[in-house]
Amino acid sequence: MSDPILQFEDVSLSYDDKLVLDRINLTVNPGDTYILLGAAGSGKTVLLKLAMTLVKPDAGRIRLLGHDITDLKETDLFEIRREVGVLFQEGGLFDSLTVGENVAYPLRNQKLLSAPEEEINGRVLESLEFVELGGTLDKFPSELSGGMRRRAGIARANVTNPKLSLYDSPTAGLDPITAYTIMSLILKQRDLRKTTTVLATHRYQDGAMAANYRWDDGTHDIVRVAPYGQYADLKTTFIVMEEGRIAFAGTQAQLEASRDPYVSQFVLHQPPPKLEQSGARGHLPA
Amino acid sequence: MLDYLKSPVQTFQDFLYLAARSIRNVTKKPIYWNDILMQMDSIGVGSLPIVALIGAFSGIVMTLQLSRALATYGATSQTGQVVSISIVRELGPVLTALLIAGRNASGIASELGSMKVTEQIDAMRALGTDPIQKLVVPRLVATAFMQPLLTAIADFVGLLGGLLIAVTVIGNTANQYWSAATDILQLNDMVQGLLKPFLFAIVISLVGCFYGMRTSGGTQGVGLATTKAVVVSSVWVFVIDALVTQIFVSLT
Repeated sequence: MSDPILQFEDVSLSYDDKLVLDRINLTVNPGDTYILLGAAGSGKTVLLKLAMTLVKPDAGRIRLLGHDITDLKETDLFEIRREVGVLFQEGGLFDSLTVGENVAYPLRNQKLLSAPEEEINGRVLESLEFVELGGTLDKFPSELSGGMRRRAGIARANVTNPKLSLYDSPTAGLDPITAYTIMSLILKQRDLRKTTTVLATHRYQDGAMAANYRWDDGTHDIVRVAPYGQYADLKTTFIVMEEGRIAFAGTQAQLEASRDPYVSQFVLHQPPPKLEQSGARGHLPA
Repeated sequence: MLDYLKSPVQTFQDFLYLAARSIRNVTKKPIYWNDILMQMDSIGVGSLPIVALIGAFSGIVMTLQLSRALATYGATSQTGQVVSISIVRELGPVLTALLIAGRNASGIASELGSMKVTEQIDAMRALGTDPIQKLVVPRLVATAFMQPLLTAIADFVGLLGGLLIAVTVIGNTANQYWSAATDILQLNDMVQGLLKPFLFAIVISLVGCFYGMRTSGGTQGVGLATTKAVVVSSVWVFVIDALVTQIFVSLT
């Protein structure tokens, strides 16, 4: 098995004397998908920020793409970050730049990615067309809808063809149709470009889509791989965070079978199932 | 007591850390010339009308106030000298600095603060840019370059304002006022009058950036950061003014 892309070893972090991550151990293998579920404030975003090297842990070690990034200086981290694509919760687009300039930003500002302007323009257009936003090149983020801003954010995150893509709540606050579009674009990126994906969300449906659907270029949409009622488990690991700890890590089947009162809430969005119910494979929630 | 002091001391230490990194980065590559020019336009050219207006009125008001006092001593011919010394050494630099603090420290803090709360600064780091190099250094360089120029313009317009009152109210001739105003100025006054705005500019821009970059708590946090930036930078203007004035007074 190839080396892990990202590894957390006993990572802890406190903010203002409050423990926000408590001895986290996590291994992200290449090509796999990881779904971080958890209530607001459970540590999902902080975990992603540690993974993208924006925050340093108080204790423990983090290895990213073969480098121990725990004690690296900011300037040394730039080289590693170019291999990591990030979508921030609100998109994180620069207000003062057009969508095209936003997407071109990593190509223009990362020394090791520098390319002739024509090549950059081509890649920007390709990346925007990938998320079906080809016509917005000269628009400013404020002129776009919430869903379009997230799509532009996905285009910017993936314009460098990163090995690892981190998505922080990409569907939060979106209507179900837009959320579906965003998820299908994330899966398109994962399946067509073979990107390792870590996705923080509070919507179980997002994880269920990642685990059971694959991008199909023929129909230009995502298609379900396993029949309804069965799990495809497309190398997808579900991780449930609770107050800075990993309360659960496993497959969709294991997650749905969990009887933990906290963990099971994320599957069913209702009180935990009765113990006598069969915990075996069930239907995907609507 | 120690706990009470911990927070301001920590804040001051953080500020010194940002200031040291920013000043060290001024000569480091990459230098974002476009951003520097844009900030020069925004801070320098943008502030010009208000700086000129306030400069003119400060000259007018001061000369009006002085007219009666000087008449009491029969020294109205000295109007140009008194106005010139007060404006070049003190009023020009300090009033311009307070305007820049109000207009630009707040602008910088709110802009960077909004970027911070909408994760744009994190995005910048994640996309391979050092926010200090990209955001702080251009604002520092632009302010440090433009503020002495703005002060020189404010001084000149202030002297013109004084000229207007000296001629129309006090009864000086234009020539009398202007030669008194220019003859009295020595190199020492010029250095003092341009060194002060240079130092004020460094503090104002860094304080604006500092409070902007540590904004938290959404839009309310942006408002708070803006207020703090203006208050703290204005206080520092007076502290530095007192220190520099003391140094120059003891030198001469």
